[in-house]
Amino acid sequence: MKLCWYRVFLRPTAVDVKLEGMKTFTLILVIFFVASFAEAGPMKTVPSGPFTMGHADDPSAKPERRYMLGGFSIDTFEVTNAEYTSQFPDHPFPEGANIHPVSRVTWEEAKSYCETIGKRLPTDAEWEKAARGKDGRTFPWGNKVRKRMPHPKFSGVVKRRPGTDKKDVSPYGVQDMAGSLWEWTDGDGAGGKIVRGGLWNLHLDFEFSKTWQKNIIPPEKRFSFLGFRCAK
Amino acid sequence: MRKVDKLTRRSWLVRIGRFFLASLAALLALPRKGLARDIDYFSGTDFVGKNRAGKFKKFYINYWKPHRRISADRWSLEVSGLCRRPGRYTLDDLLKIPAREQESRLKCVECWSARAKWSGFSFAELERRVEPMAEAVGVVFYCADAYVEHLSLETLRHPRTLMATHMDSAPLSDEHGFPLRVIAPMKYGYKNPKAILKMEFVSQEVWGTWSKIGPYSPDGTILPGTDHPLEFDKEPRRIAGGEIRNY
Repeated sequence: MKLCWYRVFLRPTAVDVKLEGMKTFTLILVIFFVASFAEAGPMKTVPSGPFTMGHADDPSAKPERRYMLGGFSIDTFEVTNAEYTSQFPDHPFPEGANIHPVSRVTWEEAKSYCETIGKRLPTDAEWEKAARGKDGRTFPWGNKVRKRMPHPKFSGVVKRRPGTDKKDVSPYGVQDMAGSLWEWTDGDGAGGKIVRGGLWNLHLDFEFSKTWQKNIIPPEKRFSFLGFRCAK
Repeated sequence: MRKVDKLTRRSWLVRIGRFFLASLAALLALPRKGLARDIDYFSGTDFVGKNRAGKFKKFYINYWKPHRRISADRWSLEVSGLCRRPGRYTLDDLLKIPAREQESRLKCVECWSARAKWSGFSFAELERRVEPMAEAVGVVFYCADAYVEHLSLETLRHPRTLMATHMDSAPLSDEHGFPLRVIAPMKYGYKNPKAILKMEFVSQEVWGTWSKIGPYSPDGTILPGTDHPLEFDKEPRRIAGGEIRNY
């Protein structure tokens, strides 16, 4: 019915051309919509190129250097309980926490999950570039220290849905790299694996991690403050 | 002719007297609940409590409430709750259990930490004796300072958790939790109960004294953050979370 006016006011051939044009236009719209949805989805692309890694003043991160790194993709968010238990259903987590980041997984378990879904754990350098961008920034969002406390005054971990903190976003759109949980990486350190990017507890005052800060944790440990994300 | 006795003042007094005597007899005859709490574990009038002076500058002492010093002769550990063989263990009984030793750091949630050499026995040794039931998930510790804390069986069975009776090669001092304390170095100090009087196996997690009233998580795992070790003049050090093993 909507097309009747075409038939009344335009010649039949013109109507057909118009319809074909509309079909093509709609198809292009759909393609753009799907592409844009995919962009906001589970992984972000980090293009190849140089970036700054390390920090001169941090004993665990010095020296500060420029590195060249190939392109890769990394999960936008930390892996959730729901995602993890879709592959490993025996992993326990509190009722109602299926949308929270998974924790209490060993390094091997994190690695296995990533490999099961065709991905891998990010390297130490990949993690830092995804958080820091090309300009050597202090926090994923820039160099400014945020005033708002990232965690309530509490000696335990309060987990939230990944992406709840709308400001904790890196230049490549990767989220929760300064706050939320600490994350396993594929990097090796003295006595364990390198973990990145969670909150520091300063006697119940909490602060965000800086992009170069890291800890080393033995791979067999499982902690409530430690989760992961995958790369490709 | 009168069939009913006249209710006189005397008869009322007699009835009240009988009732009082019967109640008293019943009270004495009934088994007394909470008998364990009536044991006087303590001696003297000297109290032990929070202390950060003198020799304790290098290892702070925190107690929930000051309490009288525990008498070794009167003390015995009561183990109850969901276990097949509840019972009491004297200090001599516990000292006969095969001992092991470990060096570990006690990290307080406030900021400080201190290191010591602890010795005592593994929780598994006690489990072997009391045989916890399958439904038990943890133990509630009742301490001399009225402090109550819960630890999961997973934490108690951790290879680094110790039921400590000695510190730095000497029996625990009253300040450090004589005669028995828990050392769980992967947890903040408030999850390391000391001067333990009673252990109760339970089927559900119970929130401890501090978790009920303060911003202290019932889990109590040491988080990544900053530590101020007392033996290094509180010089701040970054810690990765869990047990601090690198200094």
